[in-house]
Amino acid sequence: MKSMRDIKKRMNATEKTSQITKAMHMVSAAKLKKAERAIHAFRPLTEKFSRVLSRVFAGGGDISHPMLEGREVHKVLYILVASDRGLAGPFNNRLFKAFDEHVKANHPDKEEFEVAALGFKAYHFAKRRDYPLIHEDVIQMRDDVQFVDFQSLSDRFVKGYLSGSFDQVEVFYNHFVNTLTQDVKHQTLLPLEASPFIASEEENGEGTYKNIYYYEPDAKTVLFQLLPMYVVHILYGMILESKASEHAARMMAMKSATDNAKELIKDLKLHYNRARQSAITIELTDIIGGAEAVK
Amino acid sequence: MHLIVITPEGELYNEEVDYIVVSASGLGEFAIMKDHAPLISAIEVGHVKMVKGDDHVFTVVINGALEHQSNTIHILAQEAHVGLEKESAMEHLNEARKERLEENRRRTMDFLEAERELKKNIREARASKR
Repeated sequence: MKSMRDIKKRMNATEKTSQITKAMHMVSAAKLKKAERAIHAFRPLTEKFSRVLSRVFAGGGDISHPMLEGREVHKVLYILVASDRGLAGPFNNRLFKAFDEHVKANHPDKEEFEVAALGFKAYHFAKRRDYPLIHEDVIQMRDDVQFVDFQSLSDRFVKGYLSGSFDQVEVFYNHFVNTLTQDVKHQTLLPLEASPFIASEEENGEGTYKNIYYYEPDAKTVLFQLLPMYVVHILYGMILESKASEHAARMMAMKSATDNAKELIKDLKLHYNRARQSAITIELTDIIGGAEAVK
Repeated sequence: MHLIVITPEGELYNEEVDYIVVSASGLGEFAIMKDHAPLISAIEVGHVKMVKGDDHVFTVVINGALEHQSNTIHILAQEAHVGLEKESAMEHLNEARKERLEENRRRTMDFLEAERELKKNIREARASKR
C-alpha cells in the first residue's frame, strides 16, 4: 500500500486539476452563450441576403453563373473547420476521422483534391497526413471570428472555383444540434443550389403584384458580385456553428473531467483514511506490545 | 425614409434619413431619395453617405448588398463602419482590419512558440521518469 504522504500528494494534485477543469468548464459555458448569440445575430443577415438574391433571380430573367452550374468534377477543395485548441473532447478528432474516411473512400490519388484548413488543429492534421494544402499560413479560428480572418482563403477559393482550379468545394464542420449533441456535417458549398431562391420567390409572390427592381449597374453584374459574397456568408455561418459546437464539446469534456476528478478524489480519500487507520493500528499494537513487554 | 445597416454582429444602424448617396468601386455615385423605384445593388468596397437635414455621416461598407424598396433601405454588409468623414471612416476600417491581421500573425507566432515549449517540457518530463 502506498504511504499516506504519497496519497495526500496525489489528492492535492487531482484537486488542483479539477479546479482547472472546473474553471475551463465555466469559461466554455460563457463562450458557448456568446457563440449562440453570434449565431442568432447572424441569422437575419443571411435571411435578408438570400431574399435579395431570390429577387435578383426572379427579376433578372435567365441568369447563369458558373457558381450555379455543376460541372464535371476533376478536383475538389475540402474546407475543414476545426479549432485552434484541443481539450474539446471528440470535437476535432471526430471531424478528422470523418474526413479521413471520406478521402479513403473517394480519393485514392492525392492529386484529386486539395485541403483548406481552418484552425491550428486542422492545419497540423493536414500537415501530418501530408494532404495538399492551398494555403501556407495557419488560418486561425478565434472565438470572435471575423470575415477578415479567413478572407485570404475565401478570396482564393472563390477565384479558384471561377478560374476552374477546383470544380467543387465541400466543407466538413461540426454541426451544433444542442449542448449535448454535435455531429460532423459534410456539405457542398460550390456549386450552389439555385432552387431555394427560386422556390422562396414563388412562395412570397402573393399574386397581387411583383416588385420590379432596378439594378445598379445591371442584373448580371450585381449577381456576379453578390454570389461570391453569399458563398462566404454561408461559410461564415458554418464557422459560427462550428464555434458553438467547439465550446459545447469542450464544456462537456471539462464537465466529465471534473466529475472524474471528484470520483478519483473520493477513491483516494478512502485509501488515505485506510492508510491512516492502519498506521494508527500499527502504532497502537506497538504501544500495547511495549507495555506487555514491560510487565 | 428608413435605413437599416445589418452586419454579422447585428444591426449597426437603424435610422430615419432624408436621402443616401452610394459610392462604390466600379459603380460611380448615385443617390437614393424618397420614393425611389425599388433597387438592388452590390457594394464590394465603397461608402454610403447618409444625409438627414444638415447632418451627414458616412458608412464604409465592404462586401455588401443594398436593397431599396418602399422607402426602406437595407444594407447587408460583411463589414461596415460608421464615421463622420468618408476618409476617416475608411481609414479606421482599414486600420482595424490591418491590426486584426497583424494580431492574428502575432498570435500564430505565440502559439507556435508555446507549443514548442510544451513539447519540450513533455519530453523532459518523460526523460526524468525513465
